[in-house]
Order: sequence, then C-alpha cells, then structure tokens
Amino acid sequence: MRRPWVIAFVAVTTVAIALVPVFGSAVLIQYGINALIFATLAQSWNIIGGYTGYASFGNSVFFGLGAYGTAIAMTQFGLPFWAGLPLGALLGVLCALLLGLPVLRLRGHYFAIATLGLSLAVAAILSNLEIAGANIGLILPLTRADGMFFELALALLVACVLCVWWISRSRFGMGLIAIREDEDAAAAMGINTTLYKTAALMLAALFTSIAGGIYAYWITFIDPASAFDPTLNVRMVIMAMFGGPGTVLGPVAGALVLSAVYEVLANWISTAAALLFGLVIVLSVIFMPRGLFALIGGIRRHGPGYLLQNVRQHRL
Amino acid sequence: MSAGPLFDARNLTKRFQGLTSVDRVSFSVSAGEILALIGPNGAGKTTLVNLISGMLAADDGELRFEDRRIDHLPPFRRARLGIGRSFQVMKPFPSLTVLDNVAVGALFGRRGGARSRTAAREQAHELLTFTGLGLHADRRADALGGPDRKRLELAKALALRPKLLLLDEVMAGLNAVEIDEVVAVIKRIRDSGVTLLIVEHVMKAVRILADRVIVLHHGEVIAQGDCATVFEDPRVIEAYLGKRRN
Repeated sequence: MRRPWVIAFVAVTTVAIALVPVFGSAVLIQYGINALIFATLAQSWNIIGGYTGYASFGNSVFFGLGAYGTAIAMTQFGLPFWAGLPLGALLGVLCALLLGLPVLRLRGHYFAIATLGLSLAVAAILSNLEIAGANIGLILPLTRADGMFFELALALLVACVLCVWWISRSRFGMGLIAIREDEDAAAAMGINTTLYKTAALMLAALFTSIAGGIYAYWITFIDPASAFDPTLNVRMVIMAMFGGPGTVLGPVAGALVLSAVYEVLANWISTAAALLFGLVIVLSVIFMPRGLFALIGGIRRHGPGYLLQNVRQHRL
Repeated sequence: MSAGPLFDARNLTKRFQGLTSVDRVSFSVSAGEILALIGPNGAGKTTLVNLISGMLAADDGELRFEDRRIDHLPPFRRARLGIGRSFQVMKPFPSLTVLDNVAVGALFGRRGGARSRTAAREQAHELLTFTGLGLHADRRADALGGPDRKRLELAKALALRPKLLLLDEVMAGLNAVEIDEVVAVIKRIRDSGVTLLIVEHVMKAVRILADRVIVLHHGEVIAQGDCATVFEDPRVIEAYLGKRRN
C-alpha cells in the first residue's frame, strides 16, 4: 500500500465498482452485493485471524447478531433501517466484548473449537426467543433498492479496508502482529495482550455485524439456520487465506476472486460447482499457501518455480 | 531516587503441585550492579525469572520494584515499569524482520518510548548496531542462526529501555569467541546504567561480570556473596559436584 500506484489502482477500482449500479445489469448488481459483503466478512476475519493470529470461527455469531439486531429493531419495534443497523452492530460488538474476555484466553486449536461452538449455541438461544421469531424467523419490510444495497456494501468494505490499512501501519497493529508471532514475548515487551486481542475481536465484530444487518435487510428474511450458518465462517476463512491473511488487500482480492469462480462454476455446471470449488481451494493451499499476494511477489522473484518451491517447503 | 534497593524479593515461593520450585527466596538487587543467579539444573532459576517478570504468579512472598509492590501486576505492566527479560527458550517474532522485532520493544516498552513505527525503527537500528546485528536488520528473524538469535533476544529486551534486565542463559550454546562478545555487550549495557540479573551456567562469564552471586539449589538460596566467597563455599561445591568423601 505504500507505493502510490497501488493506492491509485485501488481508488480507480473503487470508483469503477461504485459505478456498477448505474451501468450494470440486475444480475451483476446482485452478484456484486453478495461479493462485497463476503469481502467485508473476509477482511473483518483478517483483523482477528490474519493480524492477531486467532483463528475465529465465531465471526458468524457477529454476522447473525447484526442481522437479528437489525431485524428485531425493524420488525418488532418499527424502527427505520438506519436506527436498526447501529443496534445490530452494538449487539455484535457487545457480544465480542463479553465472549472475547473468556474465550480469548484460549490459544490455538482450543480457541478455534470454542468459537465454533458459539454460533450453534447462539442460534439455539435465538430459536427459543419469541422476540426473534423463534424457529420461524423474521420477515423484514421489503425494499427494492439493490443500487442502495450495493453502495452501502461497498462503503462498508471501503471503511473496513481503511481500518485494516491503519492497523497495518499503526502501533496498535504492531501490537496485534506481535501477539500473533509470540504472545508471551509480546507481553514481556509491554503489550497489554488482553486489551489488544479483545479490541481486535470487537473491531472484527463491528464490521461483521454491520454486514449482517445489511444482508438481513437485503434478503428480507432471516431465520437461525441462515443467520448463524457455520459454513459462512468457513468461507470467510477460506477467502482470507486464499488472498493472503495479514495483508491489507489480500482478503478482499481472495473474496472477489473466489466469489467470481464460484458464480462461474455454478452457471456452467451447477451440480458439480461445490466439488470444483473445493478443488480450487485444495490446489491453492498446495501451490500458494501464503495467498494470492505472496504468489504475485513469489513468481516475480522466483518465476513459476515458486509453485513447486511451496510444495517442497511444506513437504506435500 | 529512593534509598532502598532497585528490586527486592521477600520469601518468594512457588509450588507446582507437590514440588516447591522456589522456596522462600529473599534477595535484593541494587541499582547499577550485576547480580548472577546460578545453580544446578532444576534449581528453580528460570522459575524465579518468570516470577519476577510476571509470567508466573507467586504462591507466597512479596516483590518490590523501586519501593513499589509489583506482585499483582501482569507481565506487560512490569515491562512498562522497566523490567525487561530475555527468554531461555528464545522467543523471536519469527516472520517479522529483525528490525521490527526490536521496534516492537521501542513502541511498547517503558514510558517515553517511540510513538510511531518510524521512530521505533530508528531506535531499533541503534540497538542492532549495539548488539552487532546491524547487517541483519532486514532479514526475517527465523532466518537467523543460533548466536544471532541470542543477540536478538538481547536487543529486544533492551528496546523497552529497562531499568532492570533479566537475562536467562543468554550464553548457553555459544562458543568461546561468541561468549566473549556477549560478555562485552553486557558490560556495555551495565555501563549505560542498566541493572542486570543474569542466570548463567558459564562460570567464566559469571566471574568476569558478576558483582554478586546468588546460588539456588532445590529452590532455596544456599549461598550468596561475591564470586570468591561463593565458589569456595562447601555447600555450593556439594550442590554442583556432590559430597566430598571422608
């Protein structure tokens, strides 16, 4: 991000994407909203998973809470979307604070497993709450304004990328990276690890839950199964890892590329799409374990041999 | 400045289930001195370092740093007060550059450190030159060889501008030439006004550096004093070599 041409490229691309609702087809806009939301989810995961090194499988909880917070505010209390969305975000961030303090004490696989259980637990709680529509779910007021949803999703993604860019350059971000690299050493260097980890999780929750709120209003129907879908979290992780965790643009590129690949596969050969998608993931893990961005740098330095080098280095 | 010692431990005790690893250990460190902590393997030296830096919580006893109780402070607070440490099992930030490894300390250490990454990197550069790592600034930390990793541990601990520096076996695994180099660096650290507590098995280095020695055996202090007295103490010889016959 330091070189000016990268910033120029990102700015031009952003403007071009912002113009899609003006010139693009309805299908393209629909695809775009979905891809932009996924890019935000992958980028949010990058804050806690990529920079801080905590592989969270609880981000789908924040997504679901953002969706439900917005939906409850709109359907049960008759609030407008602009009031519901911040309420959903507040719910997600509070949840990150309350869950983060105990769960972030766990490290490595234990953290991953503990967070994996969370989305199932929260889904079970909500499916028993009358105010959340219990098992049936909630139907939000219908709005046919895909252009607005598109620009909203894009604005959220831009905010999220700017936040990660700031992290990549700031003292705060250096603290997160140190925690990822070695948490005990980070504490011995004077880093308040508990505070930093919790703040990272809350930041991830903020963007994830806003994305959930936008998604709920766009789709107009949510139930526990769709709002707290654990496979949603798996996709965030895959997209971030595919693009390059711990980089500013990697997760966004990963999300946009993988969304496109999936869409194309689903159009051509609808039945085998998921299978081929899985194949793409496996191949990319083998040949580019550090993501798209490392791949570009690696090929520039070592030529196509970089791919084989990865295979050799990781003893596959 | 206060009149008391820089650091003071009273009746420090740590038990691991049945095993008492550190048993009612009391000692103090005066500003400006080098205190060596020696003892056979398993004597509790690293546990003691972990108790002082806050990685472990003591079961009993008091810790004071600059006349202030620190026993209940978490590790990062003690680091910010000015207690720096190296790790016996080295803990570099593997995928960061050598320079950034040290810059982290400059960013987060004792108050008055660097506020921006750029300023931190400048401070880190000076420390790398000081510890002899200047040429390796841009390499990844996990690409360094053994002796250079030791230097990196030193540079990282120094980056937080400690008043008291705990060095846990920084000379283990080094050859004679490398030991001389590290001894020279430690002397320069002392001359810059830092007080040191060194855990060390290399007795040659202890003789050169230490103003005072504490000997730990089975978690208890069995002797303390200057090098000459301590190395002649029959209990110390017994702890290291076993009992003399007849």
